[in-house]
Amino acid sequence: MTTGPDDIPQDDSLLAAEYVLRLLDPVEDAAFRARLATEPALAAEMTAWTTRLSGLDADVAEVAPRPAVKTGLERRLFGQPQRLPFWRRVGLWQAVSLASVALAAFLALQSLQPPQPVAPTPLFVSEIAAEDQSLRLLAVYDAQAAELRLTRTAGSAAEGRVLQLWAIAGDAAPVSLGVLPETGTTAVILPEALRAGLADLVLAISDEPAGGSPTGAPTGAVLAVGQVSAL
Amino acid sequence: MATTDEIEDLIARSALGDRAAFSRLYDRTSAKLFGIILRVLKDRASAEDALQDAFMKIWRHASRYSANGASPMTWMITIARNTAIDHLRRKRETVDADDAADRLVSSAPNPEQSAVAAGEARRITACLDELEQDRGAAVRGAYLEGRSYADLAESFGVPLNTMRTWLRRSLQRLQECMAR
Repeated sequence: MTTGPDDIPQDDSLLAAEYVLRLLDPVEDAAFRARLATEPALAAEMTAWTTRLSGLDADVAEVAPRPAVKTGLERRLFGQPQRLPFWRRVGLWQAVSLASVALAAFLALQSLQPPQPVAPTPLFVSEIAAEDQSLRLLAVYDAQAAELRLTRTAGSAAEGRVLQLWAIAGDAAPVSLGVLPETGTTAVILPEALRAGLADLVLAISDEPAGGSPTGAPTGAVLAVGQVSAL
Repeated sequence: MATTDEIEDLIARSALGDRAAFSRLYDRTSAKLFGIILRVLKDRASAEDALQDAFMKIWRHASRYSANGASPMTWMITIARNTAIDHLRRKRETVDADDAADRLVSSAPNPEQSAVAAGEARRITACLDELEQDRGAAVRGAYLEGRSYADLAESFGVPLNTMRTWLRRSLQRLQECMAR
Protein backbone atom coordinates (compact mmCIF):
# COMPACT_ATOMS: atom_id res chain seq x y z
CA MET A 1 0.00 0.00 0.00
CA THR A 2 2.65 2.58 1.01
CA THR A 3 1.47 5.85 -0.44
CA GLY A 4 -1.34 5.56 -2.90
CA PRO A 5 -2.67 8.97 -3.89
CA ASP A 6 -5.91 8.33 -1.99
CA ASP A 7 -3.98 7.33 1.14
CA ILE A 8 -1.82 10.23 2.18
CA PRO A 9 -0.44 13.12 0.11
CA GLN A 10 3.08 12.49 -1.12
CA ASP A 11 4.21 15.69 0.51
CA ASP A 12 2.98 14.53 3.91
CA SER A 13 4.71 11.22 3.48
CA LEU A 14 8.00 12.99 2.82
CA LEU A 15 7.39 15.26 5.79
CA ALA A 16 6.94 12.14 7.92
CA ALA A 17 10.25 10.79 6.62
CA GLU A 18 11.99 14.07 7.39
CA TYR A 19 10.49 14.02 10.86
CA VAL A 20 11.82 10.52 11.51
CA LEU A 21 15.23 11.58 10.19
CA ARG A 22 15.21 14.68 12.44
CA LEU A 23 15.67 16.91 9.40
CA LEU A 24 12.87 19.38 10.09
CA ASP A 25 13.71 22.72 11.63
CA PRO A 26 12.30 23.25 15.13
CA VAL A 27 9.20 25.12 13.92
CA GLU A 28 8.31 22.55 11.24
CA ASP A 29 9.08 19.78 13.69
CA ALA A 30 6.69 21.14 16.31
CA ALA A 31 3.98 21.74 13.69
CA PHE A 32 4.31 18.20 12.36
CA ARG A 33 4.20 16.79 15.83
CA ALA A 34 1.01 18.66 16.63
CA ARG A 35 -0.60 17.12 13.55
CA LEU A 36 0.43 13.61 14.62
CA ALA A 37 -1.88 13.79 17.61
CA THR A 38 -4.95 14.39 15.48
CA GLU A 39 -4.16 12.67 12.20
CA PRO A 40 -3.91 8.89 12.59
CA ALA A 41 -3.04 8.34 8.92
CA LEU A 42 -0.08 10.68 9.28
CA ALA A 43 1.03 8.96 12.50
CA ALA A 44 0.80 5.58 10.79
CA GLU A 45 2.91 6.90 7.90
CA MET A 46 5.47 8.18 10.40
CA THR A 47 5.65 4.74 12.02
CA ALA A 48 5.91 3.15 8.56
CA TRP A 49 8.92 5.36 7.77
CA THR A 50 10.46 4.48 11.12
CA THR A 51 10.16 0.82 10.18
CA ARG A 52 11.35 1.31 6.59
CA LEU A 53 14.49 3.11 7.68
CA SER A 54 15.10 0.62 10.48
CA GLY A 55 16.47 -1.68 7.78
CA LEU A 56 19.65 0.39 8.08
CA ASP A 57 20.07 -0.57 11.74
CA ALA A 58 21.45 -3.90 10.58
CA ASP A 59 24.51 -2.02 9.27
CA VAL A 60 25.42 -0.83 12.74
CA ALA A 61 27.86 -3.02 14.63
CA GLU A 62 27.15 -3.86 18.25
CA VAL A 63 29.56 -2.33 20.74
CA ALA A 64 29.41 -3.51 24.35
CA PRO A 65 29.41 -0.58 26.77
CA ARG A 66 31.67 -0.74 29.86
CA PRO A 67 30.04 -2.49 32.85
CA ALA A 68 30.28 0.78 34.81
CA VAL A 69 27.68 2.30 32.47
CA LYS A 70 25.05 -0.15 33.71
CA THR A 71 26.00 0.39 37.34
CA GLY A 72 25.73 4.13 36.78
CA LEU A 73 22.36 3.76 35.06
CA GLU A 74 20.95 1.75 37.95
CA ARG A 75 22.27 4.29 40.41
CA ARG A 76 20.64 7.10 38.44
CA LEU A 77 17.34 5.24 38.22
CA PHE A 78 17.10 3.42 41.52
CA GLY A 79 19.38 5.40 43.80
CA GLN A 80 21.90 3.02 45.24
CA PRO A 81 24.27 0.70 43.43
CA GLN A 82 22.73 -2.75 43.14
CA ARG A 83 25.93 -4.55 43.98
CA LEU A 84 26.47 -3.07 47.44
CA PRO A 85 23.17 -2.62 49.18
CA PHE A 86 23.47 -0.11 51.97
CA TRP A 87 21.91 -2.36 54.58
CA ARG A 88 24.18 -5.27 53.93
CA ARG A 89 27.28 -3.17 54.18
CA VAL A 90 26.29 -1.54 57.43
CA GLY A 91 25.24 -4.86 58.94
CA LEU A 92 22.01 -5.94 60.49
CA TRP A 93 22.42 -4.50 63.95
CA GLN A 94 23.23 -1.08 62.60
CA ALA A 95 20.23 -1.39 60.32
CA VAL A 96 18.10 -2.13 63.34
CA SER A 97 19.54 0.83 65.23
CA LEU A 98 19.11 3.07 62.18
CA ALA A 99 15.52 1.94 61.87
CA SER A 100 14.93 2.73 65.52
CA VAL A 101 16.44 6.18 65.09
CA ALA A 102 14.20 6.69 62.09
CA LEU A 103 11.17 5.49 64.02
CA ALA A 104 12.02 7.71 66.98
CA ALA A 105 12.41 10.70 64.68
CA PHE A 106 9.11 9.89 63.04
CA LEU A 107 7.27 9.48 66.33
CA ALA A 108 8.78 12.69 67.71
CA LEU A 109 7.51 14.53 64.68
CA GLN A 110 4.06 12.93 64.99
CA SER A 111 3.68 13.83 68.67
CA LEU A 112 4.83 17.39 68.10
CA GLN A 113 2.46 18.19 65.27
CA PRO A 114 -0.57 15.98 65.66
CA PRO A 115 -3.38 18.07 64.16
CA GLN A 116 -2.39 18.82 60.59
CA PRO A 117 -1.34 16.12 58.15
CA VAL A 118 2.41 16.28 58.05
CA ALA A 119 4.47 15.73 54.97
CA PRO A 120 7.08 13.30 56.29
CA THR A 121 10.45 14.98 56.73
CA PRO A 122 13.04 13.01 54.84
CA LEU A 123 15.56 11.33 57.05
CA PHE A 124 19.11 12.16 56.04
CA VAL A 125 21.76 9.53 56.50
CA SER A 126 25.26 8.95 55.35
CA GLU A 127 27.68 6.11 55.54
CA ILE A 128 31.18 7.55 55.76
CA ALA A 129 33.42 4.70 54.83
CA ALA A 130 36.94 3.97 53.68
CA GLU A 131 37.21 2.14 50.40
CA ASP A 132 38.53 -0.95 52.17
CA GLN A 133 36.02 -0.57 55.02
CA SER A 134 38.86 -0.09 57.52
CA LEU A 135 37.06 2.99 58.84
CA ARG A 136 33.30 3.32 58.81
CA LEU A 137 30.82 5.65 60.45
CA LEU A 138 27.09 5.94 60.20
CA ALA A 139 25.69 9.48 60.31
CA VAL A 140 22.04 10.32 60.86
CA TYR A 141 20.82 13.88 60.78
CA ASP A 142 18.41 14.97 63.50
CA ALA A 143 16.55 17.89 61.95
CA GLN A 144 15.02 19.00 65.24
CA ALA A 145 18.36 19.40 66.99
CA ALA A 146 20.16 20.29 63.73
CA GLU A 147 22.81 17.81 64.65
CA LEU A 148 24.51 14.88 63.03
CA ARG A 149 24.61 11.75 65.20
CA LEU A 150 27.61 9.67 64.38
CA THR A 151 28.21 6.03 65.22
CA ARG A 152 31.55 4.51 64.46
CA THR A 153 31.28 0.90 63.39
CA ALA A 154 34.85 0.24 62.33
CA GLY A 155 38.32 1.75 62.56
CA SER A 156 40.17 4.21 64.74
CA ALA A 157 42.79 6.94 64.49
CA ALA A 158 46.46 6.04 64.19
CA GLU A 159 48.46 6.38 67.41
CA GLY A 160 49.03 10.01 68.33
CA ARG A 161 46.69 11.15 65.59
CA VAL A 162 43.00 12.12 65.50
CA LEU A 163 40.14 11.78 63.07
CA GLN A 164 38.55 15.02 61.96
CA LEU A 165 35.14 15.30 60.30
CA TRP A 166 34.51 17.67 57.41
CA ALA A 167 31.44 18.75 55.46
CA ILE A 168 31.85 19.64 51.83
CA ALA A 169 29.12 21.46 49.90
CA GLY A 170 29.67 21.34 46.15
CA ASP A 171 32.95 22.98 45.16
CA ALA A 172 33.25 24.92 48.43
CA ALA A 173 36.15 24.37 50.79
CA PRO A 174 35.61 21.71 53.47
CA VAL A 175 34.12 23.00 56.72
CA SER A 176 35.35 21.34 59.90
CA LEU A 177 32.68 19.69 62.03
CA GLY A 178 35.20 18.82 64.71
CA VAL A 179 37.50 16.09 65.92
CA LEU A 180 35.86 12.72 66.58
CA PRO A 181 36.12 11.15 70.03
CA GLU A 182 38.09 7.89 70.33
CA THR A 183 35.10 5.56 70.33
CA GLY A 184 31.37 5.19 70.23
CA THR A 185 28.75 7.71 69.40
CA THR A 186 28.92 11.45 69.14
CA ALA A 187 26.81 14.29 67.87
CA VAL A 188 27.94 17.45 66.12
CA ILE A 189 25.91 20.54 65.34
CA LEU A 190 25.64 21.20 61.62
CA PRO A 191 26.44 24.87 60.89
CA GLU A 192 23.36 26.73 59.74
CA ALA A 193 24.87 27.61 56.37
CA LEU A 194 25.10 23.90 55.51
CA ARG A 195 21.60 22.84 56.53
CA ALA A 196 19.73 23.89 53.38
CA GLY A 197 22.07 21.95 51.12
CA LEU A 198 22.12 18.89 53.35
CA ALA A 199 20.93 16.48 50.70
CA ASP A 200 23.95 17.25 48.53
CA LEU A 201 26.50 17.35 51.29
CA VAL A 202 29.57 15.14 51.31
CA LEU A 203 31.07 14.13 54.64
CA ALA A 204 34.72 13.23 54.90
CA ILE A 205 37.14 12.15 57.60
CA SER A 206 40.80 13.07 57.49
CA ASP A 207 43.81 11.98 59.47
CA GLU A 208 45.14 14.95 61.51
CA PRO A 209 47.66 15.71 64.25
CA ALA A 210 46.44 15.66 67.87
CA GLY A 211 44.11 18.58 68.48
CA GLY A 212 42.94 18.67 64.89
CA SER A 213 44.07 20.40 61.73
CA PRO A 214 46.19 23.45 62.56
CA THR A 215 45.19 25.24 59.37
CA GLY A 216 41.42 24.95 59.31
CA ALA A 217 41.63 22.78 56.19
CA PRO A 218 42.37 19.06 55.97
CA THR A 219 46.11 18.52 56.15
CA GLY A 220 46.34 14.73 56.31
CA ALA A 221 45.03 11.92 54.16
CA VAL A 222 41.28 11.70 53.58
CA LEU A 223 40.46 8.30 55.04
CA ALA A 224 36.73 8.00 54.46
CA VAL A 225 34.05 9.74 52.43
CA GLY A 226 30.26 9.53 52.41
CA GLN A 227 27.50 11.21 50.46
CA VAL A 228 24.46 12.32 52.46
CA SER A 229 21.24 10.92 51.09
CA ALA A 230 17.60 11.20 51.99
CA LEU A 231 16.08 7.96 53.23
CA MET B 1 20.61 -11.54 19.92
CA ALA B 2 17.37 -11.88 21.82
CA THR B 3 14.13 -12.69 20.09
CA THR B 4 11.42 -10.13 19.46
CA ASP B 5 9.05 -11.92 21.83
CA GLU B 6 11.61 -11.98 24.60
CA ILE B 7 12.32 -8.25 24.27
CA GLU B 8 8.62 -7.50 24.11
CA ASP B 9 8.11 -9.49 27.31
CA LEU B 10 10.99 -7.73 29.08
CA ILE B 11 9.63 -4.32 28.09
CA ALA B 12 6.18 -5.28 29.36
CA ARG B 13 7.63 -6.39 32.69
CA SER B 14 9.75 -3.26 32.95
CA ALA B 15 6.54 -1.27 32.51
CA LEU B 16 5.32 -2.95 35.71
CA GLY B 17 8.44 -1.85 37.57
CA ASP B 18 10.29 -5.19 37.38
CA ARG B 19 13.93 -4.18 37.81
CA ALA B 20 15.30 -7.65 37.15
CA ALA B 21 13.50 -7.71 33.80
CA PHE B 22 14.87 -4.26 33.00
CA SER B 23 18.36 -5.45 33.88
CA ARG B 24 17.98 -8.34 31.44
CA LEU B 25 16.56 -6.01 28.82
CA TYR B 26 19.70 -3.90 29.19
CA ASP B 27 21.96 -6.94 28.90
CA ARG B 28 20.22 -8.10 25.72
CA THR B 29 20.03 -4.78 23.93
CA SER B 30 22.65 -2.33 25.22
CA ALA B 31 25.39 -3.35 22.77
CA LYS B 32 23.14 -2.63 19.78
CA LEU B 33 21.90 0.63 21.23
CA PHE B 34 25.42 1.70 22.15
CA GLY B 35 26.53 0.99 18.56
CA ILE B 36 23.66 3.16 17.26
CA ILE B 37 24.54 6.00 19.64
CA LEU B 38 28.26 5.82 18.88
CA ARG B 39 27.53 6.31 15.17
CA VAL B 40 25.90 9.62 16.03
CA LEU B 41 28.10 10.86 18.84
CA LYS B 42 31.53 9.33 17.98
CA ASP B 43 32.87 10.28 21.41
CA ARG B 44 32.67 7.37 23.86
CA ALA B 45 32.10 9.37 27.03
CA SER B 46 29.16 11.31 25.54
CA ALA B 47 27.84 8.07 24.07
CA GLU B 48 27.87 6.39 27.49
CA ASP B 49 25.98 9.33 28.91
CA ALA B 50 23.42 9.19 26.11
CA LEU B 51 23.04 5.42 26.53
CA GLN B 52 22.10 5.91 30.18
CA ASP B 53 19.64 8.65 29.22
CA ALA B 54 18.11 6.40 26.58
CA PHE B 55 17.60 3.53 29.02
CA MET B 56 16.11 5.90 31.58
CA LYS B 57 13.54 6.89 28.96
CA ILE B 58 12.94 3.26 28.05
CA TRP B 59 12.28 2.48 31.73
CA ARG B 60 9.96 5.45 32.18
CA HIS B 61 8.09 5.01 28.93
CA ALA B 62 7.96 1.22 28.81
CA SER B 63 4.20 1.26 29.32
CA ARG B 64 3.78 3.22 26.11
CA TYR B 65 5.57 0.69 23.97
CA SER B 66 2.65 -1.58 23.16
CA ALA B 67 0.65 1.25 21.68
CA ASN B 68 3.08 2.32 19.02
CA GLY B 69 3.14 -0.11 16.10
CA ALA B 70 6.91 -0.41 15.64
CA SER B 71 8.82 -3.58 16.58
CA PRO B 72 10.29 -3.56 20.11
CA MET B 73 13.87 -3.27 18.87
CA THR B 74 12.90 -0.46 16.49
CA TRP B 75 11.16 1.31 19.35
CA MET B 76 14.26 1.11 21.53
CA ILE B 77 16.62 2.07 18.71
CA THR B 78 14.44 5.07 17.86
CA ILE B 79 14.69 6.27 21.45
CA ALA B 80 18.47 5.70 21.46
CA ARG B 81 18.96 7.47 18.13
CA ASN B 82 16.83 10.46 19.10
CA THR B 83 18.54 10.72 22.47
CA ALA B 84 21.93 10.72 20.77
CA ILE B 85 20.77 13.41 18.33
CA ASP B 86 19.44 15.47 21.25
CA HIS B 87 22.89 15.24 22.85
CA LEU B 88 24.55 16.17 19.57
CA ARG B 89 22.38 19.25 19.07
CA ARG B 90 21.94 20.24 22.70
CA LYS B 91 24.21 23.24 22.34
CA ARG B 92 22.18 24.67 19.52
CA GLU B 93 18.59 23.92 20.44
CA THR B 94 16.66 23.48 23.61
CA VAL B 95 15.17 20.06 23.85
CA ASP B 96 12.56 18.57 26.05
CA ALA B 97 14.14 15.99 28.33
CA ASP B 98 11.76 13.27 27.27
CA ASP B 99 11.59 14.39 23.68
CA ALA B 100 13.08 11.24 22.23
CA ALA B 101 10.50 8.93 23.74
CA ASP B 102 7.65 11.22 22.78
CA ARG B 103 8.58 11.28 19.15
CA LEU B 104 7.01 7.90 18.58
CA VAL B 105 3.40 8.74 19.22
CA SER B 106 0.99 6.21 20.54
CA SER B 107 -1.56 6.41 17.78
CA ALA B 108 -3.53 3.38 16.83
CA PRO B 109 -1.07 1.74 14.45
CA ASN B 110 -2.14 0.50 11.10
CA PRO B 111 -1.01 -3.15 11.32
CA GLU B 112 -1.16 -3.74 7.61
CA GLN B 113 0.99 -0.72 6.91
CA SER B 114 3.47 -1.79 9.61
CA ALA B 115 3.77 -5.28 8.18
CA VAL B 116 4.31 -3.94 4.68
CA ALA B 117 6.94 -1.53 5.93
CA ALA B 118 8.71 -4.32 7.82
CA GLY B 119 8.92 -6.33 4.60
CA GLU B 120 10.20 -3.29 2.75
CA ALA B 121 12.85 -2.55 5.36
CA ARG B 122 14.89 -5.51 4.19
CA ARG B 123 15.20 -3.90 0.77
CA ILE B 124 16.51 -0.56 1.92
CA THR B 125 20.19 -1.30 1.29
CA ALA B 126 19.57 -2.46 -2.27
CA CYS B 127 17.33 0.53 -2.92
CA LEU B 128 19.85 2.99 -1.53
CA ASP B 129 22.40 1.51 -3.89
CA GLU B 130 20.10 2.34 -6.81
CA LEU B 131 20.40 6.04 -5.99
CA GLU B 132 23.39 8.07 -7.14
CA GLN B 133 26.20 7.49 -4.70
CA ASP B 134 26.01 10.97 -3.11
CA ARG B 135 22.27 10.74 -2.58
CA GLY B 136 22.45 7.39 -0.87
CA ALA B 137 25.25 8.66 1.35
CA ALA B 138 23.15 11.67 2.35
CA VAL B 139 20.24 9.47 3.46
CA ARG B 140 22.60 7.25 5.42
CA GLY B 141 24.28 10.29 6.97
CA ALA B 142 20.95 11.67 8.11
CA TYR B 143 19.75 8.37 9.55
CA LEU B 144 22.90 6.84 10.95
CA GLU B 145 24.77 9.94 12.04
CA GLY B 146 21.91 12.33 12.78
CA ARG B 147 23.21 14.88 10.28
CA SER B 148 21.10 17.96 9.60
CA TYR B 149 20.33 19.59 6.25
CA ALA B 150 22.83 22.36 7.04
CA ASP B 151 25.49 19.83 7.89
CA LEU B 152 24.81 17.73 4.78
CA ALA B 153 24.69 20.81 2.53
CA GLU B 154 28.09 21.83 3.80
CA SER B 155 29.77 18.51 3.26
CA PHE B 156 28.25 18.01 -0.19
CA GLY B 157 29.04 21.61 -1.12
CA VAL B 158 25.51 22.57 -2.19
CA PRO B 159 23.07 25.23 -0.95
CA LEU B 160 20.75 24.13 1.82
CA ASN B 161 17.61 24.28 -0.32
CA THR B 162 19.25 22.17 -2.99
CA MET B 163 20.18 19.65 -0.34
CA ARG B 164 16.60 19.48 0.83
CA THR B 165 15.28 19.03 -2.70
CA TRP B 166 17.84 16.29 -3.34
CA LEU B 167 17.10 14.44 -0.19
CA ARG B 168 13.33 14.59 -0.53
CA ARG B 169 13.60 13.30 -4.08
CA SER B 170 15.88 10.52 -2.86
CA LEU B 171 13.40 9.56 -0.15
CA GLN B 172 10.61 9.45 -2.69
CA ARG B 173 12.60 7.19 -5.01
CA LEU B 174 13.61 5.09 -2.06
CA GLN B 175 10.01 4.60 -1.10
CA GLU B 176 9.02 3.65 -4.64
CA CYS B 177 11.89 1.19 -4.90
CA MET B 178 11.12 -0.40 -1.56
CA ALA B 179 7.44 -0.80 -2.44
CA ARG B 180 8.23 -2.68 -5.65
